[in-house]
Amino acid sequence: MENALLVGLSRQMALSHELDVVANNIANIDTTGFKADKAAFSEFLMPHAADQQFSGSDRKVSFVQDRATWIDFGPGAIEHTGDPLNVALDGKGYLVVQTPRGQRYTRNGALSTNATGQLVTSEGYQVLGDGGPITFQPTDHDISISPNGIITVREGASTADSQRGKLQIVGFDQMQLLQKDSSSTFKAPNGVNAGPPPAGTRVIQGAVEKSNVNAVAEMARMIQITRSYSDIAAILQQQGDQRRNALQQLSQQPSS
Amino acid sequence: MRALDTAATGMAAMDLKVQVIAGNIANMSTTGYKSQRAEFQDLIYEHVQRVGAQASDQGNILPVGIELGSGVKAVGTPRLMTQGTLTQTGNTLDVAIQGDGFFKILMPDGTFSYSRDGSFKMDAQGRIVQAEGYVVQPGITIPANASGLTISNQGQVSVTLPGSTTSTVLGQLTLTRFTNNAGLQANGDNLYTATPASGTPQDGLPATEGSGTILQGSLEQSNVEAVTEISNLIAAQRAYEMNSKVITAADQMLQSTAQLMR
Repeated sequence: MENALLVGLSRQMALSHELDVVANNIANIDTTGFKADKAAFSEFLMPHAADQQFSGSDRKVSFVQDRATWIDFGPGAIEHTGDPLNVALDGKGYLVVQTPRGQRYTRNGALSTNATGQLVTSEGYQVLGDGGPITFQPTDHDISISPNGIITVREGASTADSQRGKLQIVGFDQMQLLQKDSSSTFKAPNGVNAGPPPAGTRVIQGAVEKSNVNAVAEMARMIQITRSYSDIAAILQQQGDQRRNALQQLSQQPSS
Repeated sequence: MRALDTAATGMAAMDLKVQVIAGNIANMSTTGYKSQRAEFQDLIYEHVQRVGAQASDQGNILPVGIELGSGVKAVGTPRLMTQGTLTQTGNTLDVAIQGDGFFKILMPDGTFSYSRDGSFKMDAQGRIVQAEGYVVQPGITIPANASGLTISNQGQVSVTLPGSTTSTVLGQLTLTRFTNNAGLQANGDNLYTATPASGTPQDGLPATEGSGTILQGSLEQSNVEAVTEISNLIAAQRAYEMNSKVITAADQMLQSTAQLMR
């Protein structure tokens, strides 16, 4: 008797989680290097609810369970900013960032320098090159970053290029295991090791990668969520009415 | 419902973005203005079900977990320190910097500010001052009877004094450079001050060590690009609207739950 209520409830809980995911995607529609989350559900069978003693045996009751959110690692649009220290990555590579919590990986290439000339993220964390942090000299100008991440500058009055390092770009075999760690960074759980970036990964200077959230899809998803949520609310309502009617009718004394 | 708070952070972020765009558009014809860009990052995630957690006794692990984000935050409004277009004014005391560097300005309180605005004037004592009357460093005084003021590409200020056929050098303008131009703090009046993030000011001569050159009779326009700003404004407005729709959706869901009980 309670099953319809509980099954409906399980769906509503899953839907409200899904709306949380959609809300976060829409809130981050303009976050540099953001990757959208998608919610996945699975059916949860509850075998014990089945009673085999009736003549026509019951079917198993299936509930909805929110199984996972997975990250859509598809590329975001590349926006030209003109800032020489902005880089966008074309391909499935990541920049390596040194944070107090350990190394993190990011696609957010809105970089700048700090007071000591080190290349840092907008949060002030060092961006690592192949040989550790990349440091610019105060007299450096005309910074140029090649498609494979080599940073060259003109130092002072010199007319020759001098190299300041090479951006460390890594790739992952099992990208889905990466965890989001806020501030547009990803964390690799134990056992997931960064490897060389996939072939064809290149650095685009003077541009940033926008969020890959698809506004139209998210809005459509949201409408779907609210509609199914209120549909289920209606079912629960009917279920309640049905029960009330049953109680009323069953409790009526036969007028003999 | 978490979605309500998440969408609120999104609306706040878009509000900030519109403010930044408004500032850029308002300063579209401000001499030496550098456009700003709002930069966002995602907020912390709640790991409802951690990725890689054990799913069964047989050692299967979850290939993906449940991560619920809590919205967006603004991390900065970096300035785009690119060259603005130069327009010719013909005014002898209008100078533009072509390349890197800032003019050094002495403030009334004895500290220094830095500016890309080279619309200089002369004050009652003949000193070269900027539009607010603050003295451009190093202080150069132009004699009242001087004529033919020229400022060279390297910033050398020279005049012709009466009774002389050759020009006399009065002084040398300097340019100040910073490791991180985007780390400067804007204080209004087209003036910036040094911060720990910008690095220490490095005074130098124009056209040396990476400093820009000086162009007399020209002014540097703002580097705001109208088309970019307007398209960003449209995007920000729509994003704001979408976040408000999320709030409506969450509200509707709560409402249909509330209506269950009669």
